[in-house]
Amino acid sequence: MTLRLSCGGHKARLSCAVMLKLHRHSLVAAAFAVIAFLLLYAGAGETKPFSAWRWMDIIAEGGMAAMAGLWFVMTLSSRPGGLVTRLLAGGLAAIMLGSCADCLDEFFRVDKAASWDNWLEALVPFGMLVLTAGIYYWRQEQFMLNDHLAKRERLFRQHRAFDRLTQLADAAYLRHQIRLEQERDPSGQCALVLLDIDGFHRINREHGAREGDRVLQAVGHMLLLNLRNEDLLCRYAGDRFALLLPGLGDAGARALAQHLCDMVARMRHHGPHGPLPVSLRFASEAAHGDAEGLLARLSAAIDGAGQPAARPQQTVPAQ
Amino acid sequence: MIRYTLPDEATIPACGLPWHFLDYALQREALPAAIARGTGMPGDGSAPLPGTLVSPQQCLQLLTNTLRELDSADTSFMLGQHLLPGADPALTLALRRAGSLLHVLEILCRWPARLLPLLRPRLHVADGQAVLYWTDSHGAPSLRAALVEMHMTAVVSLARWLGGQRLPWRFCFNRARPRHIEQHEVHLGGELRFDCQLDAMLLDPALLVQPWPDAGAVEGAAVLAGVSESGAAASLVDALYDYLLAEVRCNPTLEGASAAFGISPSTLKRHLARCGTHFVAELDQVRTHVALYLFQSRRADNEAVADYLGFHDAANFRRSFKRWTGLTPALLRASLAT
Repeated sequence: MTLRLSCGGHKARLSCAVMLKLHRHSLVAAAFAVIAFLLLYAGAGETKPFSAWRWMDIIAEGGMAAMAGLWFVMTLSSRPGGLVTRLLAGGLAAIMLGSCADCLDEFFRVDKAASWDNWLEALVPFGMLVLTAGIYYWRQEQFMLNDHLAKRERLFRQHRAFDRLTQLADAAYLRHQIRLEQERDPSGQCALVLLDIDGFHRINREHGAREGDRVLQAVGHMLLLNLRNEDLLCRYAGDRFALLLPGLGDAGARALAQHLCDMVARMRHHGPHGPLPVSLRFASEAAHGDAEGLLARLSAAIDGAGQPAARPQQTVPAQ
Repeated sequence: MIRYTLPDEATIPACGLPWHFLDYALQREALPAAIARGTGMPGDGSAPLPGTLVSPQQCLQLLTNTLRELDSADTSFMLGQHLLPGADPALTLALRRAGSLLHVLEILCRWPARLLPLLRPRLHVADGQAVLYWTDSHGAPSLRAALVEMHMTAVVSLARWLGGQRLPWRFCFNRARPRHIEQHEVHLGGELRFDCQLDAMLLDPALLVQPWPDAGAVEGAAVLAGVSESGAAASLVDALYDYLLAEVRCNPTLEGASAAFGISPSTLKRHLARCGTHFVAELDQVRTHVALYLFQSRRADNEAVADYLGFHDAANFRRSFKRWTGLTPALLRASLAT
């Protein structure tokens, strides 16, 4: 549940720098290998005259080496360590070095009797084999992550739609999912539930915004733990969560929402000044019709549910 | 002679609004150097020294940086949640002790430069409707939407906190319907209208004066009596709005306005250009607001409004109104009626 999907903006830049630092030995080793290749060819071969350079070959082979090098750095900058990263990066590094050797061939004439030149160029197919193994394991890793993320994203991935604080999808993603669900099964049952934290603004005022953020994260985790695999949990906005429940009718959705409210009420959240009671209220409706209108209706319903019982002196607004 | 301040004059205490922006960005794990660039705030994420002042321009730059670095639809609303009661010691206390929403709004409208230096609240109560509308204090058209979201959230959130309940506000926005409508629903409420000519919040006036629980109205009045008027000079754009509103019936001119401000017409022109606006745009805005008020509250027709604003005839007014708002008066009246 502590999976991070931080993307875009400052946080991505931060994690990019952290990742590159983590892999600095691999990066330094690759840079040294490229320099060593250059020195080897310069030392062992004789320089070709400028007129003998074949530009098409230089551009094609040099470009391949540069691209493979770029992929190598991009892979390392985006992944934590581990077998999959080692295989992917190792394969790309081998392809880069093999293409480098191929390209250096164009500048230096090497004795054809020496086979080391051919061996170095054979790094390209070898690198492809390693890369293939890496992609195979990456696929397995991805299946596990999909399992993990099932309740957050439901068969569609859009990394920009994730909220940084709770790692849940946002309202635009929810609207998209409602439409997808309606297209997938127009006659089927599907319920939409909004959940709102009671008095969240008071928690923020009295305990600070950082504590408010911790409450949001705790509630998000609690909700995720109590959902089916096919359900989708989103952070609608502020302290309001949304649940898309395919296959559930009105009664089923209400029962589930009530269960979630009970679970959150029994959760013990520890604030800086002792336990902090957290409770939820909900509004639910069948997920039919225009997504925006549906969400606006539910939002109004949950606002109404949050008002204290009608006060005698309260006047009704004119319109 | 009318006093005013310009956007590059350091008038805002750095510990107030600017630190509020910076602190929020740091909570959201932004890099302090990127947020503080070009704003006169410390770039290492530490709080500014007490007594430091920054200019409105730097404060707007800080907001621009924060919005860009956090790149999230809820930033303006979250900044608004805790914008009030603010950091001005005397006024913060006065706000917390206010006896009703009307007291709060009166304090906000009387000391905007110390509480809300970037967007000016204006309260208008008439004909069974309280209207709190917002005008730009320093000319920041690109930040207008975010500023409006932030300031509306600030008032809603303060009223909800002090009054203990959500009020049935209705909201008008001078912009097209945004994509992040959910933020408006959660932070403001469901009664939203877009493509209006005004950024305004509407409420039943009876709710303005409804006394709040555990308020210390007497104490609040005592605190207010001690608040000095110092530092209360309005921004140039605000002061010009006030001047034009007072003179709107007498066809105000650039020459007349510059005389009232004690500067030459070319200096006023230059100052306004630095705020990203010009005299005619400001005059048109005031006339639009007055015409809207007459249409809405007084059910006035074109002749009456044309006469009030000093136009020769209704046809002339109709043409001008179309130029100000893009709508004919008839179309606008139809949209007000729905």
